[in-house]
Amino acid sequence: MVVLFAAASGRALPQSAGADLRGIWMAESNADANLERAHVIVDPPDGKIPYRPEAAVQQKRNFANREAADPEKKCFQPGVPRAAYLRSPFQIFQNDRAVYIVYQDAHSYRIVYLNGSPHNDGLGYAMGDSRGHWEGDTLVADVTSFSDTTWLDAAGNYHSDELHVVERYTRMNTNTLIYEAMIEDPKVFTRPWKIQMPLWLQKGIQILEDECEEGENGRRHHVSLYKEAR
Amino acid sequence: MRFLLLLVSVAAFGQSAKFEPPRQADGHPDLQGVWRNASIVAAFNVEGQKAYYNEPGGLSVIVDPPDGKLPYLGDALQKANDNHVHRERDPTGHCHTHGVPRSLVPPFPIEIVEDSNHVVLLSETEHSVRIVPLDGRPHLKNYHAWAGDSRGRWEGDTLVVDVIDFNGRTWLDQSGNFVDENEHVVERFTMTGPDTIVYEARVEDPTVYSRPWTLRVSLRRQTRGTELIEYDCIEGERDEIHFPGAASQKH
Repeated sequence: MVVLFAAASGRALPQSAGADLRGIWMAESNADANLERAHVIVDPPDGKIPYRPEAAVQQKRNFANREAADPEKKCFQPGVPRAAYLRSPFQIFQNDRAVYIVYQDAHSYRIVYLNGSPHNDGLGYAMGDSRGHWEGDTLVADVTSFSDTTWLDAAGNYHSDELHVVERYTRMNTNTLIYEAMIEDPKVFTRPWKIQMPLWLQKGIQILEDECEEGENGRRHHVSLYKEAR
Repeated sequence: MRFLLLLVSVAAFGQSAKFEPPRQADGHPDLQGVWRNASIVAAFNVEGQKAYYNEPGGLSVIVDPPDGKLPYLGDALQKANDNHVHRERDPTGHCHTHGVPRSLVPPFPIEIVEDSNHVVLLSETEHSVRIVPLDGRPHLKNYHAWAGDSRGRWEGDTLVVDVIDFNGRTWLDQSGNFVDENEHVVERFTMTGPDTIVYEARVEDPTVYSRPWTLRVSLRRQTRGTELIEYDCIEGERDEIHFPGAASQKH
């Protein structure tokens, strides 16, 4: 169990690790464009986000203003769970202390501590505060202490600072990571809901630097300087 | 016989004087942990400075040339002086990620993560990240980044990182010292004690400096349990321009 995929990534992991999740991963779906349309919502069964009525109004407003209002387009850190299903790769590293997830988008990263330490509460992180444990070969990350500065997708689906996410990462085989996230936020949703999707191992690439410039309108935007990089 | 014993014991003493680092399963030193540069002044001015309002003093961290001064070419010195007058232009004040060696010397902690194929340097400040492949792959082509492109290898117990592909806009400190796109850095990380890494960066940049120069600082291991905290700059517009009161705090 411990060394299942170690051959692919070079070194056996410490005994405390549940599975080897190391590698560069990316969603190859349209989840980031619109979670509901991408058919990744597995609960509730109708595949709809269970908004409170007033929150549904806010979501429509977000959608109408999405070009200017999407925090990811303004180069904010992408937030959780959105960072996992952007069309942008991330790389997982592991040691005894934690699982480290480094996202290309806005060079954001998360450290999922595995030592049973308590959450840092109330700090309002864009990427949340992550504490993890292994359930067999599945990494389970409990994420709290969010700010309200991120969205869930580019269609204006959003959350408040009461967001709580429980993620599950399961490597099915060398090339496939199943990503699951339970999302709850009593200010915005009537009940917890869940997304699930495969992420795919990306070969022959490296995480590149994603930086932003401030445009003449005073808004920041991503710059793609590195299309030619190889 | 007694003479021989003496020789043996001298040799043994010589051995024990060299620090034996903790090691990874593959035999390379284990540099992992949370560290912080011990020379806080380096973030403010790598050439050293007197302490003054809101800024610490300290000696130059440039160990070569021996006078501790950056060997600027004439035009470049003028630009450094101009930068110093306009310190509000410091790219990190505008949320841009750090260059090299600046990413190793901020007064913020960094975390080193390591396996056989990579060393990862996570900075708290600007949530800058450098992923250093150790597998011998060549540098990227047509790439120009704030943090450059890093390639690492082990030379004995020293991690050596070669960095090129810079975008030409990075500063070395808050004082306006700078490099351009021709910068080439060779970094050396050597553990000299359980809680100390000596970090050395040899910087070559023929369009800015008349000769290569070397910066050296100690990285100190932080108290067990220290965690990097999320750094927000763009979010909530906490940068130089937008942060309430920031402009009035300058100079």
